[in-house]
Amino acid sequence: MQLMNPKNIRGALTIATCSLLGLNSAVADEENWEIDSAVLYYSETDRVTAIEPVINLKRNFDDEKALNLKLVFDLLTGASATGATPSDQVQTFTRPSGNGSYTTSSGETPLDDTFKDTRAALSAQWEQPLGRDYKTSVGSNVSKEYDYFSLGINGSLSRYFNQRNTTLTAGLSYANDTIEPEGDIPLELASMAINTGQARFEEEFNATRRGGDESKTTADLLLGVTQVIDRQTLMQLNYSFGQSDGYLTDPFKILSVVGNDGRAVDYVYESRPDSRTKHSLYWQTKHHFNQDIVDLSYRYMWDDWDITSHTFDLRYRWKLGHKHYLEPHFRYYMQSNADFYQRFLLDGQPLPEHASADYRLGELTGITLGLKYGMTLPNDHDLSLRLEYYQQSGEANANNAPGILSQQELFPDVDAVIVQFSYSF
Amino acid sequence: MFIRKKGGRRAPPIHKPPSLKKAEGYYIGRFQAMACPCELLMAVEKKSLAKSLLTLAANEAWRIEQKFSRYVDDNLIYRINHSNGKPIKVEEEFVQLLNFAQQCYELSDGLFDITSGVLRYAWTFDGSDRIPEPAPVEALLPYVGWDKVTWQPPYFILPKGMEIDLGGIGKEYAVDRTLLLLQEKCQAAMVVNFGGDIHASGDRTWSIGIENPANLDSPIKILKIHQGALATSGDARRFLIKDGKRYGHVLNPKTGWPISNAQRSVTVAAGTCTEAGILATFALLQGEKAEEFLKNQDVQYWIE
Repeated sequence: MQLMNPKNIRGALTIATCSLLGLNSAVADEENWEIDSAVLYYSETDRVTAIEPVINLKRNFDDEKALNLKLVFDLLTGASATGATPSDQVQTFTRPSGNGSYTTSSGETPLDDTFKDTRAALSAQWEQPLGRDYKTSVGSNVSKEYDYFSLGINGSLSRYFNQRNTTLTAGLSYANDTIEPEGDIPLELASMAINTGQARFEEEFNATRRGGDESKTTADLLLGVTQVIDRQTLMQLNYSFGQSDGYLTDPFKILSVVGNDGRAVDYVYESRPDSRTKHSLYWQTKHHFNQDIVDLSYRYMWDDWDITSHTFDLRYRWKLGHKHYLEPHFRYYMQSNADFYQRFLLDGQPLPEHASADYRLGELTGITLGLKYGMTLPNDHDLSLRLEYYQQSGEANANNAPGILSQQELFPDVDAVIVQFSYSF
Repeated sequence: MFIRKKGGRRAPPIHKPPSLKKAEGYYIGRFQAMACPCELLMAVEKKSLAKSLLTLAANEAWRIEQKFSRYVDDNLIYRINHSNGKPIKVEEEFVQLLNFAQQCYELSDGLFDITSGVLRYAWTFDGSDRIPEPAPVEALLPYVGWDKVTWQPPYFILPKGMEIDLGGIGKEYAVDRTLLLLQEKCQAAMVVNFGGDIHASGDRTWSIGIENPANLDSPIKILKIHQGALATSGDARRFLIKDGKRYGHVLNPKTGWPISNAQRSVTVAAGTCTEAGILATFALLQGEKAEEFLKNQDVQYWIE
């Protein structure tokens, strides 16, 4: 008996079916690139401004395979806090490059105004199933700035259980970062050489430097479980362990060494330990109502620098008809300070082994309030606009601030505005 | 000489009103259409919305049933089957269906044929041993074959004595049409299930019990479905058995005899119910090569 050739007729059949039902043929669409593009504008009052265009390309292949490519540019300008304390007098600092100096007027937080950088980052990720019960993902990323280079690889394996209602994931990532600042790496806790017209300034400056580049490695391990709770609720629990080794110091940060009157008698380059072990626990729950979606998460992080942090994040996607939504966002972050964090050092006291006045290592709380509006255009492209306001506050004030420092704003708030425009097609 | 017995006129069906029940987080609507239980799951909160969606779905299913039925005398199928070789102008939805039937005929190398229904005059699959004599089967073959019809949309010419039957695609088509119609009204997750032919939409996983037609003693299967469609072809209850040989109800339109070693039932998952149903039917028509065929189509399938 002549039977039909058991060849693949699926594509032709799909087209025939779609034509019958008046649908766009899904087969042709599946293998196209999905493109997400976005521009993010971030601006801290009087400080850093960043413009970040992002383009994300995703292509789905048969059998749930997918390739994801992401290209990010960061254009940063502005000034960032150096760590030095403000004063009632004008203060003069040497630029990190050693080329020239800048001054900070009285009552002002010392900011390094040479902060200007462009970063380009590219990442690629490939994921595919392995048999019916496993999924794997491998990727790499590379990022380049003027004085910074980072290269990373990652891989993960997921196993489905319980008819895909439970997913266990284990992931590993490794990154190697190299920094080569203009003006070389400063010696930890060395006194900043200030150019007051002395003939031997260059020699003095060079005496505060060691080597031209430094590097660090970061390895992260992630273990996670994702559970479908019911038809509308998804829960995720992750534990991650991170180990960084090498040069973890910020070569652009300094500390003021202040006398009894609170005025700086010296500035020293900061020094951080050469290893950091981080742990974090992350819990996330997403619940779909008939139309709306609520997304709640909490992260608890602790490390061997004695920093612990809590992050609460809440988003609610409020559907306005089929094609529009509003998404309010609330985020609360609080952290304790690193054990070697000091707002300033006291003159006459022995120098500690490690010290940093970087506000990001101090006690702080941050609140983000945001609103996103998204819509689907008649051509099925998606468009969204996100507006966020971020406010970060440090400690109220140092109790032990000597002399004039008790009158200075040692922990100024940082306010930032974030605007993001996204378009997907 | 073999004598055809045509089905007599039947009164238009009187539909029992659909019933609506609230479940945990969704509504279940039930009604009867196309000789099977029909179910609609809707993840909506308002009862009034569920009710209006259910009415819409039932009316759509009944509309299509009416359109495809061989048992009513006021539809296009009846007019075509009684056209005595005269051209019949068909309306748009029918144009699409006949185009689709033609494509299926071509894709299956002539094994899927909507004109093969007349073979039922020779075959009654009632579990008995009444295998027809070769002569009456042979006598029907001149009235089988899409290659004998003239299809120049929107005009269809069916030679005298031939019949068309869209039953092979009607139910799956009705499932897809109904879901599409509901999606125009509401974006919530929904499942349309007409006697085990299923199409689900929206961001939600559903557990659906389907009857296992191959093994009537086993309890219903529970399937989890997220998005997409499932359809089953085959009917384990329809066969003949003689001298230890089983004759399944899937007939080869080229010979008029059952496909040998046909699977009893094939279920396929695909993007639409129509596609899933046709793939399952094609697989049955492959006989023992069903699994090889399905593997080549790159779809999920279950063979009983």
